[in-house]
Amino acid sequence: MALLEIENLEAFYGRARSLHGIDLAVEAGTIVGIIGPNGAGKSTLLDSILGLTRTKGEIRFDKKSLAGLNPTQIVGMGIGYAPERGHLFPFMGVRDNLLVGAHTVPDEAEKNLETVYSLFPALRSREKQETGTQSGGERQMVSLGRALMSSPRLLIVDEPTIGLAPKICDDIASALQRMNRELGMTILLTEQNVNFAMHLANDIHILETGEIRLSGAAGELRNDPQLRAAYFGR
Amino acid sequence: MPKSRFHRSLLYWLAFGAFMCLIPLVASTGVVRLLIFANFLAIFAMSWDIISGRTGYISFGHPFLIGIAGYTTAILTRHLDAPLFVSIPLAVLATLVGGTLFFLPALRIRGTYFALVTLAFMELMYQLTQVIAPKITGGTRGLSGLKTIILGAVPNYYLTFCVMFAIAFCLWLITRTRIGTALAAIRMDEEAVTALGLSTLKLKLFAFGASAAVAGIGGALYVHYIGSIAPRALFDINFLFTILVAALLGGSGTIAGPILGAYFLTFLLEYLRPYLPGAERYFIYGAITLVVYVLEPRGLHSILERAYGKLSPIVARGLAK
Repeated sequence: MALLEIENLEAFYGRARSLHGIDLAVEAGTIVGIIGPNGAGKSTLLDSILGLTRTKGEIRFDKKSLAGLNPTQIVGMGIGYAPERGHLFPFMGVRDNLLVGAHTVPDEAEKNLETVYSLFPALRSREKQETGTQSGGERQMVSLGRALMSSPRLLIVDEPTIGLAPKICDDIASALQRMNRELGMTILLTEQNVNFAMHLANDIHILETGEIRLSGAAGELRNDPQLRAAYFGR
Repeated sequence: MPKSRFHRSLLYWLAFGAFMCLIPLVASTGVVRLLIFANFLAIFAMSWDIISGRTGYISFGHPFLIGIAGYTTAILTRHLDAPLFVSIPLAVLATLVGGTLFFLPALRIRGTYFALVTLAFMELMYQLTQVIAPKITGGTRGLSGLKTIILGAVPNYYLTFCVMFAIAFCLWLITRTRIGTALAAIRMDEEAVTALGLSTLKLKLFAFGASAAVAGIGGALYVHYIGSIAPRALFDINFLFTILVAALLGGSGTIAGPILGAYFLTFLLEYLRPYLPGAERYFIYGAITLVVYVLEPRGLHSILERAYGKLSPIVARGLAK
């Protein structure tokens, strides 16, 4: 059953159209990756789901249309968002950053905090440290943790490995896998790191200049000559 | 916030309140009068800080809010002979309404544009008080001989301190809540706050309302303390900058900061008066502010906090011996 369905989605910045008729479905309990170069429209697609851009077309979450809803209502329905480069609150400690994420579900804040600390144990010992003084990897962990704090059923993650060392990327990948397997969370992520997305996702969509060029199971696409030529150079 | 930390902070508040209540017993009347002005400046600086220090929307028009309260209560008491217990709450209410109007542009614009719009409001109010119905507002000369709440330096000190302390304590309690954290988050990254599902519109309206209410309380009391209101003094750019500098110098985004800054600035300006009787005093405080800001952008509050952090283990060790 598709948890998220997108049909003929167009997104606009002023008069400029940046997404052209996107069709996409995210099955419950899966990880779906959107791969594409800079400017392909990956972040715009995620912003559109959150109601942060002007759109045409249909987006449904759990069979309910998101048309006309504001981000507060959309997050309240069970969609969590970890934006590109975290967008953390740099002069706040880790704990406070996480708690801002629980604003829509205050009763679940303590329980979710424990879940985040179990996924990222390093954050517990640094809960008072201002996130502006943390490394890129730690900040990414806080960003993912903050998105988890709203008890989402669908987690959307924008380029979680951008600017991170390979070892940290592995840690992020295993955390996302645990969220998916142990917490039963459906994940939609965008990436430029093709190997990372291929390794993690069940399904992959290739997005270029605002259009989906290729879609399929990650296992199948890994051997697709078109994809290999475009992203692996062979 | 862990309970032990909360209780420790509560103790500091009580100690500060008790210390300030003892001051009139030992200080001269002159010092007490200075402290009254410092209390007013602290109220105005806290009001500015709620909106600008907390949410990052820099307001250059706070005298506009103070002016609404001041003129409302002055006109009500002067022309309608309204009692103070009626005119002051009405003045605060008028400031809340005026404040909503004042801050509405913030829903559409941000940054420099917001600051300029608020500055324009202050200038507009300055012109309006002189041109529109000068018989009611007193025109360029303003209104004088207004009722006072109580007489004498010491009673006025206790009144202003209690009001200032109550406002500071309430604001401190608010900062401990989820709303306080969310307001601070807006200052750092408003888009991220929106993406997390928080209604920044409601949060900003709350901050704007609280800021206007505090400015209204301060403005209404101030007018009845000095017994007059004049547009030239109220809408003076130096008055605006004194409020801003008090908050920034003390430590913007904190509660204790604007109070510290207000006390520091009031005494600094007064003690410079014998040496620099004119407006050149403002150069000195400008220079001091610049130095503090360069050395510690988070203000005097942060300097004292660091000093306390270094000294407290030493004191604790000394006591243990």
